[in-house]
Amino acid sequence: MIQVQNLSKSFGKIKAVNYVSFSALDGQVTGLLGPNGAGKSTILRMLYTLFKPDEGTAQVDGYDVSRFPLEVKKRIGVLADARGIYPRLTARENIRYYGYLHGVEKGALEKQIDMLIHLLDMQSIADRKAKGFSTGEKLKVAIARALVHNPQNVLLDEPTNGLDVISTRAMRRLILRLKEEGKCILLTSHIMQEVAALCDHIVIISQGNITASGTADELRQLTGQSDLEDAFVSALGVKEEWG
Amino acid sequence: MIRKILVVAQKEILDHLRDYRTMLTVLLWGLLAISVIGGMTMLLGANLREQIEKPFTLYVAGMENAPTLLSFLAQQNVVIEPAPPNPKAAVSTGDISIALIIPPEYSEDFSSGKTAAVKLVYDSTRLSAAVDKTRVEKLLETYDYYIGLLRLSVRGVSPEVIRVVQIESVDTATPQSKALAVFSMLPYLTIAVIFSGAAALITDATAGERERESLEPLLINPLPRGWFAIGKMLAAIPLTVLNLLITLASIAILFRVLPMGEMMGVRLGFNAGALTLILLLCLPVVLLASAAQTLVASFTKTVKEANTHLPYIALIVSLPGALLPFLPVKPALWMMLTPILGQQVLMNQILRSEPVSAMNVLIASLGTTLVSVGFTFIAVKFYESERILSR
Repeated sequence: MIQVQNLSKSFGKIKAVNYVSFSALDGQVTGLLGPNGAGKSTILRMLYTLFKPDEGTAQVDGYDVSRFPLEVKKRIGVLADARGIYPRLTARENIRYYGYLHGVEKGALEKQIDMLIHLLDMQSIADRKAKGFSTGEKLKVAIARALVHNPQNVLLDEPTNGLDVISTRAMRRLILRLKEEGKCILLTSHIMQEVAALCDHIVIISQGNITASGTADELRQLTGQSDLEDAFVSALGVKEEWG
Repeated sequence: MIRKILVVAQKEILDHLRDYRTMLTVLLWGLLAISVIGGMTMLLGANLREQIEKPFTLYVAGMENAPTLLSFLAQQNVVIEPAPPNPKAAVSTGDISIALIIPPEYSEDFSSGKTAAVKLVYDSTRLSAAVDKTRVEKLLETYDYYIGLLRLSVRGVSPEVIRVVQIESVDTATPQSKALAVFSMLPYLTIAVIFSGAAALITDATAGERERESLEPLLINPLPRGWFAIGKMLAAIPLTVLNLLITLASIAILFRVLPMGEMMGVRLGFNAGALTLILLLCLPVVLLASAAQTLVASFTKTVKEANTHLPYIALIVSLPGALLPFLPVKPALWMMLTPILGQQVLMNQILRSEPVSAMNVLIASLGTTLVSVGFTFIAVKFYESERILSR
């Protein structure tokens, strides 16, 4: 479970995140929805302890991100915006490296890796060096290494970005499967349809502020718009022009 | 926790053993060491012997004017040849390196006891001419002195009148230190090997990690962020030591295969013991190289950018060594405390077969290690800050 209270972060004079509060519950998919540059990735970076919040707190399974970063990092699996993998290592070795860094015991680790390779349908690339992998293949490696320690909380930054339609659908199936396992999933997206299809709880962010939150139906009611895309744009509270 | 640092180091090593460039560098340094040291020894040794033993040919214009002088020169193992019609042109085109011109009035001046002039034509920009010139001048001075003595004796004056001071030279150079011309290359080469051995690994593990966007996910793993920097530094150490070992071993093998001592005409105090000592002496420098390069490369965005910065480090560290010839012979405290300079002074001592003070080794090693720890500390702080991502 992830709880965020009054989280703020500035870069110089620019206020990237402005007193943001929300919760992401276990067994639910929570979506941070917002246009490019709204502050979604900055919120995630504070949650996975790479940035320190200026104000406010965030907790993962009760551990504060500023005070117990290692405990937090043990409990999260992250697909960051940056998804680089090591081209001279095989897919399996890439995943194994993260397993070792998480201190997963060798026997359990190999079992978990085999399970993930099967789950993500990557048997054919498992023992190939990662150099020359396609975007989809690289993403599979990045997902697998994020889940190698079987974390309770899964943070996904724009998980379907750059994927073709087949891979996008596979990714959605994976997210729903993780939800069924009772995990807490927090994802960011700027694609409204994706959020609507996946998320139990939607948090709309614009210029570092939360402008609305709730289920898809609640958002429609709240904004008085029957179409979800109109509801999104209305909730952003900005003029429709190139941003 | 230590285990996780080793996990990072292990991964970097495995990653780079698969990089053919890394292994190529290691092998190339070995080859370079052999060719530089071997080549210089052969050239220098051959040069020295040739110039001393080879009968020397002197081209003379106006041979008929000074028969006594020429027979004196012939006795001193000089082959006299008539100079071409235009000696100056022949020297400036490089056909001959030096010519002696004896003017027609020489004969008359000589017979009447006046100072007789001769001319030496040479090109001072040609290095080989300088050796010849010194040799001819020395011979002419000897002749001058010899005839002078004869003339004084004839007039009943003691030759001591014109000998005010007599110089007796006592050269303390040992045969080993004469061979140092070649071995002065070794401290340079050693430092160069240390600073290039793992440069590829370090740039790839730091700037490369950022460039291929694998740094951010890596830092989300549960260990203190600074420890990643330490793991990456550690990975560079075995590779650098291996590189150093190959270089020193290839030099050692070279000395087994080639009769270096004979070539140089001297005995060498250069053996496996000295090489081992040099290797141990260099271990703190390996630490320093890995820490300094990791720090600098961590601040760069791309491998290309790192590759433009790292050579500056190599340049800076080679500066103290360039000062070496101008420094006092005795190792001073400040030299030992200056990283790299201390090791280079000590390496020189080892090669000269001089006694090396254990205290100096200790001071140099401690000083260099402390500086490395300082660099490591800065790198760790940098990895812990947010700037590592925003750069």
